[in-house]
Amino acid sequence: MNTGQYISGIGHIGLIGWLLLGDAFAPAPEPFDVTEVAVVSPEEYERIVGMQQPPETDSEAPTPPQPSEPEAPAPQPVTTPDEPPARPERDPKPETPPQDDSPDVTEILPPEPTEVQDEPPEIAPPPVEDVVVAPKKSLRPKPRPAPRVAPEPVAQPEPEAKPDEVVREEVRKDVAGETQKDESDATAPEEAAKEVVTEAEDDPSSAPVSSLRPKTRPSRPTAKPEDTATDRRSAIEKAIAEAAGPDAAPADTPEAPAGPPLTAGEKDALRVSVQRCWNTGSLSSDALRTTVIVGVKLFENGKPDVGSIRLVSSSGGSSDSARQAFEAARRAIIRCGASGYNLPKDKYAQWRDIEMTFNPEKMRIK
Amino acid sequence: MKHVLTLLSALLVLGFTVPASAAPLRIEITEGVIEPLPYAVPDFVAENSAASKVAKDLARVVAEDLSGTGLFREIPAGAHISKITSFSSPVQFADWKAINAQALVTGAVSLQSGGRLVVKFRVYDVFAGQELGNGLQFAGTQDGWRRMAHKVADAVYSRITGEGGYFDSRVVFVSETGPKDKRKKRLAIMDYDGANVQYLTNSANIVLAPRFSPTGDRILYTSYETGFPRIYVLDVASVGRRVLEQQTGTMSFAPRFSPDGRTVVYSLSQGGNTDIYRMDIGSGRSKRLTSAPSIETAPSFSPDGSRIVFESDRSGTQQLYIMDANGGEPKRISFGQGRYGTPVWSPRGDLVAFTKQTKGRFHIGVMRTDGSEERLLTASFLDEGPSWSPNGRVIMFTRETQGASGSSSLYTVDITGRNLKRVKTKGGASDPAWSPLQN
Amino acid sequence: MKHITRAVLLTSVLALAACSTPDRFSGDEVNLGGVGDPGSPSDPTSPAFFQETVGDRVFFTVDQSNLGGEAQVTLDGQAQWLLTNTDYTAIIEGHADEQGTREYNLALGARRANAVQEYLVQQGVPSSRLRVVSYGKERPIEICSHEACYAKNRRAVTIISADYNS
Repeated sequence: MNTGQYISGIGHIGLIGWLLLGDAFAPAPEPFDVTEVAVVSPEEYERIVGMQQPPETDSEAPTPPQPSEPEAPAPQPVTTPDEPPARPERDPKPETPPQDDSPDVTEILPPEPTEVQDEPPEIAPPPVEDVVVAPKKSLRPKPRPAPRVAPEPVAQPEPEAKPDEVVREEVRKDVAGETQKDESDATAPEEAAKEVVTEAEDDPSSAPVSSLRPKTRPSRPTAKPEDTATDRRSAIEKAIAEAAGPDAAPADTPEAPAGPPLTAGEKDALRVSVQRCWNTGSLSSDALRTTVIVGVKLFENGKPDVGSIRLVSSSGGSSDSARQAFEAARRAIIRCGASGYNLPKDKYAQWRDIEMTFNPEKMRIK
Repeated sequence: MKHVLTLLSALLVLGFTVPASAAPLRIEITEGVIEPLPYAVPDFVAENSAASKVAKDLARVVAEDLSGTGLFREIPAGAHISKITSFSSPVQFADWKAINAQALVTGAVSLQSGGRLVVKFRVYDVFAGQELGNGLQFAGTQDGWRRMAHKVADAVYSRITGEGGYFDSRVVFVSETGPKDKRKKRLAIMDYDGANVQYLTNSANIVLAPRFSPTGDRILYTSYETGFPRIYVLDVASVGRRVLEQQTGTMSFAPRFSPDGRTVVYSLSQGGNTDIYRMDIGSGRSKRLTSAPSIETAPSFSPDGSRIVFESDRSGTQQLYIMDANGGEPKRISFGQGRYGTPVWSPRGDLVAFTKQTKGRFHIGVMRTDGSEERLLTASFLDEGPSWSPNGRVIMFTRETQGASGSSSLYTVDITGRNLKRVKTKGGASDPAWSPLQN
Repeated sequence: MKHITRAVLLTSVLALAACSTPDRFSGDEVNLGGVGDPGSPSDPTSPAFFQETVGDRVFFTVDQSNLGGEAQVTLDGQAQWLLTNTDYTAIIEGHADEQGTREYNLALGARRANAVQEYLVQQGVPSSRLRVVSYGKERPIEICSHEACYAKNRRAVTIISADYNS
């Protein structure tokens, strides 16, 4: 071979190598805290909870006399110190109770940022799920009342019907602008249905089993590369297979067909789908000035991999407002993707990774 | 052979040009919906039997606070699939998703001997399947249970919307009885939602327009106790009061505190002319800030204390002006058709709320401090006297109905103009002023 | 009139007239008896006479505090009466209708009361005998929400009271 071919070969191999191994690099850091959490077995969890006895600081000041009413209280916010493994209960910090003159002690807002990060949130969600990694299908129905979320939304028992109606009715009343009501109608019954067909069934990999839990964030680095690695390998395999002959069928393993480019109409359909669930009504004016770019991976059935939803970047606001904006965007992606976004399967490779920019400029309170 | 295969596959991959690692699909979402966020707040768990009533009551007040904002819609208990029976048990998110609750608030209460109440809560993003932020725990007396509920609601509201809360606050106002020509007025104070009313004066004399100090410990108001309108300061805890300005031949009214609580800005009428003055409360020394032959009144400080917005009819009709807090050349900021009055600077510093009269109707409105982006939020026979919630998101004002049987009530409206509703008061009420968030 | 008669009449008027406090508002009728009786409206030295015959109030147009011709006639009469009956002081109440915000109406009422005071002073009434107060829109006389009522509420009322200290 001559030099040219040699260099070209090196280059290609290098490129392929990067493709295969690229995801081993750390994912983009998030603007807010990601918490590390230890996975706890149910037994250990019980033990920890049992041992919990929050002592409370008593720093109530005597109340000054009021003209004619019972006194306003001395609520004290008490926050817990860190202690791995995380517990749902919180030990009050032995803070010196502030001023005795004022009965009202509030450090509620300050403690939030100083709050322990390796806390219960990760544990509180069923530890049951943690243990259930392998036999995902058999254990899945346990936490989720599968029978209740049977496919036909209309045929739901009383409790289901009520929320449906409530949702439908109230959305109509509450709408004050360009809201669309359909999604609420569709969503409630659909959600019920789709629960059964959750991530577990269609997943190409095992990672999504725990994808709903926040603790998957730390595990994501491992999950994602596996996931994408698998896909990429499959893609390459498929490409090779296809190149090999016209009758080469797609392998049974989930593949990533690329297909012709996505049409504007298809992209638009996705956009419209997400829009219906993007509720900016409860966002602060700061958050409404913040544009966020949210990354998400979709499974082949069009459903979002909840654990993959991440804030890629934000602009126009503080990190706090970015968090609010991100959460609203995340809710939108999850809710409207609950039964899978309507995207052509044969172009899966093109829409497997999505970055959505949520720009609230038009939604702003003036 | 291996070499060739690798090379071949590499070439083939590139031949297809669309690698699995292609740039992600990028789409832009620029429009969404605006609707109340559906949430659920099941009864708080009573950790001992003594707490069972207050556990339910707490959850109800939290729900009233959240739903009352117009930004949240409660999914009632009747629709809930699973119950929260223990504060530390894992949440069955599927059950809450199934009823479309996007946020879930859980809580637990224990009532100990001696009336000590301990309240804990958590808030969850149901669809993301995780807790939002960290829960908190409050401790206090049983009597203060409503305040604790308001604090829980403030934390939930704040966590989800990103706004500061405003539920743990009070409102001072004028309680009114009697017909229009024989109105009895007295100062009263209540929780922002109308609970826990206390009266601060009797109705022997006309009292007007009370305003809180920045820490909520004192109230400025105008009273006809001496036969002339004069400004007084009242200490909330002791209900003791003293007059601030009592020169013979003068009348004073429309007092407001500076953000540091040490200065009062007010109007003084002398010889038929009304101008704006400031007074150091401690020393009683006052300084005149305007000296025009026109009417200058209704001053309000900016939250940083550097400027004052007020109304003046120097141009021929009432308009809004901003000047330096030490006086100086005022700059007009209102230019629309009609008359503008009672300006109040938002605690966020970004907006001024006001009363506007045009074509025989009254409106509450807001505008930016440079006068731009004027928006009217209400319209009626007589709306006036806006006051801001501590988070600058809601405005409370007086609405009076017309005719011989007309009476005054307090109303609130969101700054988007949505969610207009009446504040429950016993009898008539006017001139509300919102306290800061209680600490 | 002889001095003694005047003294007697004044004394009886003082005995009969109610002491008025500054924050009493006008509109109360004073009817003290028949024609010619001391203190009755036909007694030119009585407050009743001042109220009903001289006219204790003047009216204004919307947002204005200037005195029209009719107002000036009334005030001329008031000045005359006050100059004649020197044992009285007066407090002038300024009022506004409900078509305005609270503070502005207080200031407007002050302007109106002051306009009356200045006019009376111009007519020779010593300013030491006059005080002003504003009630803004707090004390309407008429409570319908129409111009007919509003016109009556836009007023300045001169309330005389015997000055025991003179």
